[in-house]
Amino acid sequence: MAAIAKNHDYHLVNPSPWPFVGSVATFVLALGGIAWMHNWTPWLFFIGLAGVLYTMYAWWSDVIAEANNGVDHTPVVQMHHRYGMLLFIASEVMFFVAWFWAYFDGFFRFDDVEQATRVIATGGHWPPLGVELFDPFHLPLFNTLILLTSGTTVTWAHHALLNNDRQGLKWGLILTIALGALFSAVQILEYTEAGFSFSGNLYGATFFMATGFHGFHVFIGTIFLLVCLIRAQRGDFTPERHLGFEFAAWYWHFVDVVWLFLFASVYVWGSWGVALNH
Amino acid sequence: MPGQYHLQPSVTVIMDSIVAFHDGILMWSITAIVVLVLALLIVIVVRFNAKANPVPAKFTHNTMVEIVWTVLPIIVLIIIAIPSFGVLADQLTTPDGERKYLGSNIFSFGEVEVPAAEMTVKATGEQWYWNYEYVDQTKFFDSNMLQEPERLAEKPGQPRLLAVDNELVVPVDTTVRVQVTASPTGVIHAFAVPSFGIKIDAVPGRLNETWFNARETGIYYGQCSELCGKDHAFMPIAVRVVTKEEFAAFMAGFESGGDYASANATLAAIQ
Amino acid sequence: MATTTHLEAHATGHDAASHDAHTPTGWRRWVYSTNHKDIGVMYLIFAIIAGILGGLLSGAMRLELQEPGIQIFHGLAAMAYGMDPAGGEALDAGKHMYNVFTTAHALIMIFFMVMPATMGGFANYFAPLMIGAPDTAFPRINNIAFWLLPPAFILLLMSMFFEGPAGALGTGGGWTIYPPLSTSGQPGPAMDFAILSLHVAGISSILGSINLITTIFNMRAPGMTLHKMPLFAWSVLVTAFLLLLALPVLAGGITMLLTDRNFGTTFFAPEGGGDPVLFQHLFWFFGHPEVYIMILPGFGIISHIVSTFSRKPIFGYMAMAYAMVAIGFVGFVVWAHHMYTTGLSLDVQRYFVAATMVIAVPTGVKIFSWIATMWGGSITFRTPMLWAIGFIFLFTVGGVTGVVLANAGADRALHDTYYVVAHFHYVLSLGAVFSIFAGWYYWYPKMFGYMYSEFLGKVHFWTMFIGVNLVFFPQHFLGLAGMPRRYIDYPDAFALWNRVSSIGYYITFLSMLIFFYAMWEAARKKRPAGDNPWGEGATTLEWTLSSPPPFHQFSTLPKIDSTNAH
Ligand code: HEA
Ligand code: HEA
Ligand code: CUA
Ligand SMILES: [Cu+2]
Repeated sequence: MAAIAKNHDYHLVNPSPWPFVGSVATFVLALGGIAWMHNWTPWLFFIGLAGVLYTMYAWWSDVIAEANNGVDHTPVVQMHHRYGMLLFIASEVMFFVAWFWAYFDGFFRFDDVEQATRVIATGGHWPPLGVELFDPFHLPLFNTLILLTSGTTVTWAHHALLNNDRQGLKWGLILTIALGALFSAVQILEYTEAGFSFSGNLYGATFFMATGFHGFHVFIGTIFLLVCLIRAQRGDFTPERHLGFEFAAWYWHFVDVVWLFLFASVYVWGSWGVALNH
Repeated sequence: MPGQYHLQPSVTVIMDSIVAFHDGILMWSITAIVVLVLALLIVIVVRFNAKANPVPAKFTHNTMVEIVWTVLPIIVLIIIAIPSFGVLADQLTTPDGERKYLGSNIFSFGEVEVPAAEMTVKATGEQWYWNYEYVDQTKFFDSNMLQEPERLAEKPGQPRLLAVDNELVVPVDTTVRVQVTASPTGVIHAFAVPSFGIKIDAVPGRLNETWFNARETGIYYGQCSELCGKDHAFMPIAVRVVTKEEFAAFMAGFESGGDYASANATLAAIQ
Repeated sequence: MATTTHLEAHATGHDAASHDAHTPTGWRRWVYSTNHKDIGVMYLIFAIIAGILGGLLSGAMRLELQEPGIQIFHGLAAMAYGMDPAGGEALDAGKHMYNVFTTAHALIMIFFMVMPATMGGFANYFAPLMIGAPDTAFPRINNIAFWLLPPAFILLLMSMFFEGPAGALGTGGGWTIYPPLSTSGQPGPAMDFAILSLHVAGISSILGSINLITTIFNMRAPGMTLHKMPLFAWSVLVTAFLLLLALPVLAGGITMLLTDRNFGTTFFAPEGGGDPVLFQHLFWFFGHPEVYIMILPGFGIISHIVSTFSRKPIFGYMAMAYAMVAIGFVGFVVWAHHMYTTGLSLDVQRYFVAATMVIAVPTGVKIFSWIATMWGGSITFRTPMLWAIGFIFLFTVGGVTGVVLANAGADRALHDTYYVVAHFHYVLSLGAVFSIFAGWYYWYPKMFGYMYSEFLGKVHFWTMFIGVNLVFFPQHFLGLAGMPRRYIDYPDAFALWNRVSSIGYYITFLSMLIFFYAMWEAARKKRPAGDNPWGEGATTLEWTLSSPPPFHQFSTLPKIDSTNAH
C-alpha cells in the first residue's frame, strides 16, 4: 500500500472504517440489551445486532479479499493468523472454565453443611430434588455421535481439499454443516423436554447456560463452515492455502471437545446412579 | 484512641497471638526489608551518581548474590510461615477443652488452655443492623446503632457510630461459639470485633462459625466489615462482656421478662 | 544483554525522503487508524482523561473523609436529585453516592487509566519498536481494541445516572461487585450498565492481547530471539497472556450476574441452590492476575529506565524475564487470599497462605536486580530515573504489606480495613502510576519529539511523592486500629490520620496541576529532543529512530547481531 518501498513481508493494513463502526455498533448493542432487559424497547438491541453483523460481514469480506489478492497474506502473515486463532480459542476455553466451575460448585458441594439454604434448596441431593435428568445415553449420546461424526466429515473435507478434490471438499462441508444443524435441532428438542427449568434453581441455571453457550458456539461454527462452503463454491482455497477453512475446522474441533467434557461431566457423571426422565 | 497506629488492645488468646505475630516477626521482617532496600538505594545515590562514578561498570551477572537474594527471602518466608500456620489453626479450631492455644507465645506448640465452648450465639446481618440469638435459650433481639440524639440522651459515654441500643451480652472467661449468617434474601455483611481478633463474613444462606473467649469485662466494639449498601458504615457491633453472675441474672431476666429490655433491666439492677 | 548490541548500524528507520508520503490525514488518520503509534497515542490520551476523572472522584472521597461526620455527599446528592440538603432523604442518597464514587473511582483507575496507559499506550507504541517490527500483527484489531474503550467508559459513566438500588442512582457495590448486593441488592439498570461496561472493556483487552502476543511471537526482527528481547516486551508478553486467560473467566462470572439479575437464574442466589461465594471465586480468579496485569508492564518500563540512566546493562536479564513469567504463573493460583473471611476451611486457607507468599521471591529477584543494575553505574538523576527509583522503593513498601496480608492469621485483623487500602494504593497509585509517569517522561521526547522541562518534571515528582505518601501511609495506621474500608463516616478516634490523608490529597492534586502545566510548557516551547536524548545508556531500538519515529518505521527490518554482550 504505502509509497515507501517495504522490504519485509508484513502486511501493513490500510486504514479501515470497520473497527470504529463495529465499536459504535457494540455500544448500541449493549445499550439495546439493557433497554430490552428493562422492558423499554427491544428495537435498539436489534439495531445494534444488525450493526455488529454488518461490521463482521464487511470486515471479513476485506480480509477475504486480501487473502485472495495473492499479495498481502505472505507466509509470515499466515502465521500471524494461526497464532491469532489459537489464542482466540484459548480465551474461549477459559470462558467455558467459568461455566464448568459454576456447575462443579453445585456438583461437589451440594450437601455442604455450612450452606444451609442451598441444602434446603437442593434437598441435600445432586441433582437437586425435583430435577428430572435426561438419560445421557438417549438424545445426548445421539448428539455426541453426531458431533463426533461431524468431526470426521470435516477432516474428510480437509483431506479432499489437500488432494484438490473439490467435490469431496464440498460434500464434506455440506455433511458437516448438516450434522451441525442436526445437533442444534436435537438440542432444541431436548430442551423442550427438560424436566427442570432455566430459572429458579442452580441445576437449570448451570445446565442451560453451559450447554446453551456450547450450542451458541455450534451455531457460530456452523455459520463459519457455511461461509467456507460458499467460498469453496466460489473457487477460493487451494491445497496449499486455505486458512479460513482450517480455522473453521479448528473451531469445530474445539466445540466438539467442549461437548465431550459437557457430556462426560454434566450428562454422564452428573446422572450416575440417579433416577432418570424417559 | 486518636492517632493510634497499632492494633487494638487484646482481650482474647486469639488476638494475643495476632498481636504477637504482627508486632513481632511481621513488623520486624518487613521493616528490615524496607530499610535494607532504602539503604541500598541511598548508597547507590551517594556512590554511583555520575559525578562520583563517571565510568560505569559493565558486569551483568553474579551467580553468588543471585542465589543469596533468592534463598534469603525464602528463609524469611519460612520463618514467617511457621507461626503463621499456628496462629491460623488456632483461629479456625473451636476449643474442645483439650487443645492448647498459642497465645502470645507464637513460637511454642501451644500452652494456653481454653475451655470447651459453653454457649452459642448466632449473629445475623440484616440491612442494616444485627440480629442476635442466644441459640441454647432461643432468645432473639435486634441491635441497632443509636442515632446521635438518642446516643447523647441515653449513652453519652459511648462513642458515636459505635453505640447501639442493645449490646450483645456475654459472660467473661467463657468460650462462646459464634454462628454468623445473613438473612437468606439479604446481602453479605461481616461480623468483626477487633479486640477479640475475629472477623467472619455473614453470607446469605451460609452458616459460618468462629469463637472467642474474653478475659476482661467491658464493652468491645466492632463494625460491619463487608460492603452491604448505603448504611454499611452504620451497623456497628457492640459486645458487652459481664461477669458470669451478671450474665446468669441477665439470662434469667430474659427468660422471665421475655425480651431484651427486661433482661437488661435485671442486669442494670445488679450492676 | 541483548539490546546492547550494535543495532544502530542496521537500523534504517530514518528513510526520511519517503516518510510521510502516504500518511493518512485529518480525522480518518485517527478514527480509521491502523497505525500502532497513533493508536498508542490515542490510548494514552484516553488514559489521561480517565485518570483526571478517577482522581477527581477520589478527591470527593477524601474531602468527605477529612472529618468525621457527613460533610459533602448529602449536599452533592441534594444537587443531583434536587432534594432538600438538610433532609434525611438527601442523607440517604448521599451515603449511597459515596459508594457509587468509590466504585467508579476504582473501576475507572483500573480499567480505564492503568490498563489503557500500560497495555494500550506504551505496549502498543513501544513493543513493536523495541522488537524491530513495522507495526503490530493485526492493525485493525488493534484499532477496535482501542475504540471499544470509549463505549465501555461511557457505559460506566452512564451507570452513575440510572437507578441502582430502589430510588437511588448508580452502582455502589464496590469494584468487586459481589452478589447479592449486585443482584437483588441493586435491581435497577445501573448495575447492568456497569456489567456490560466490563464486558466491552474485557473484549477490548482480549483482542488487544491477541494482537500483542502474536506481534511479539511472530514479528521480532531477524536475530532477535526471545532471549534477546527487551524486558518491556517480555513484560507485555506475560501480561497479555494473563489478560487472555483471566478475563474470560470474569466475563463468565459477570454474565452469570446478568442472568441472575434479569433472567431468574440462581447461580448466586442461595434460595435456588446458588452460592454467593462462587462469584468471589470467579471474580478473584480474574482479580488477582489483574493486579499483576497492572504492575508487570511497569516492571518492564522500570528495567529500561534504570539501565539507561545508570549507563549499564540490565543485571540478570534472564532471571528478570523468568521472574515475570513465574509471577504470572503463580498469580493464577493464589486468588482466595482475598477471601480468608468467607469461611474457607483451614486447609484451603493454609494452601493460599503458602502459595501467596511464594510470589515475594520472584518479586524480590526483580527488586534486587534493579538495585544491582544501578550498582556500579554512573547514574544521572533525570526525571524518569527519579520516578523509577521512587517506584522501586514505594513498591517494596506496598509489596511487604501484601506479604503481611497474605498470612490469613494476620489478615483476620486487617481484611476490609484501611490497611488493605494502604497496601494496594502503594502498589497501584505509588507503584503502577509511578511507572506510568516514569514511562511517560522517558518516552515523551520519543513520542512527540520535544523535551519537557527537567525542572518542572522534578517538581512534579517531588510534590507527588510527598503527596501520595501522605495520603496513604497513615492509612496503614487506620487499618491497624480497625477502621473498615468503604465507610463514608467513621468513629471520631480515626479523625487524625484521616485528616492527614486528606491533606496529602491536596498536595497530590497540586502535583497533578504541575504535571499538566509541565506538559503545556513543553508543547509551547517545542525544544527539539533529538533521536536519543538519553545518551549511550539508551540501547533499545526505539532510540535508533527519529523523534517522533516515521509513520512506518523499519521498512527494512533491523538485524540483531548474533554476537552479543551477555
Ligand atoms: C498492582 C497491584 C498489586 C500488586 C503488585 C499486589 C501484590 C501483592 N499483594 Fe495485593 N492487592 C491489590 C493489588 C496488588 N497487590 C489490590 C487492588 C488489593 C485489594 C482488592 C480489593 O479488595 O479491593 C490487594 C489485596 C491483597 C490481599 C487481600 C487483602 C484483604 O482483602 O484482606 C492480599 C492477601 O494476601 C494481597 C497480597 C499481595 C502480595 C503477597 C503481593 C506480592 O506480589 C507482593 C510481592 C512484593 C514484595 C514482597 C516486595 C519486594 C520483595 C522483596 C524486597 C524481597 C524480600 C521480601 C520478603 C522476604 C517478604 N493483596
Ligand atoms: C490504579 C488504581 C488506583 C489509583 C491510581 C488510585 C488513586 C487514588 N485513590 Fe483509590 N482505589 C482504588 C484504586 C486506585 N486508586 C481501588 C481499586 C479502590 C477500592 C475500591 C473499592 O473499595 O471497591 C480504591 C479506593 C480508594 C479509597 C477507599 C475508599 C473507601 O474504602 O471508602 C480511597 C480513600 O482515600 C482512595 C483514594 C485515592 C486517592 C486519593 C488517589 C490519588 O492517588 C489520586 C491522584 C490521581 C492520580 C495519581 C491519577 C494520575 C494519573 C493520571 C492523570 C493519568 C496519567 C496517565 C499518563 C501519563 C498516560 N481510593
Ligand atoms: Cu453490613 Cu456492611
Ligand atoms: Cu491478590
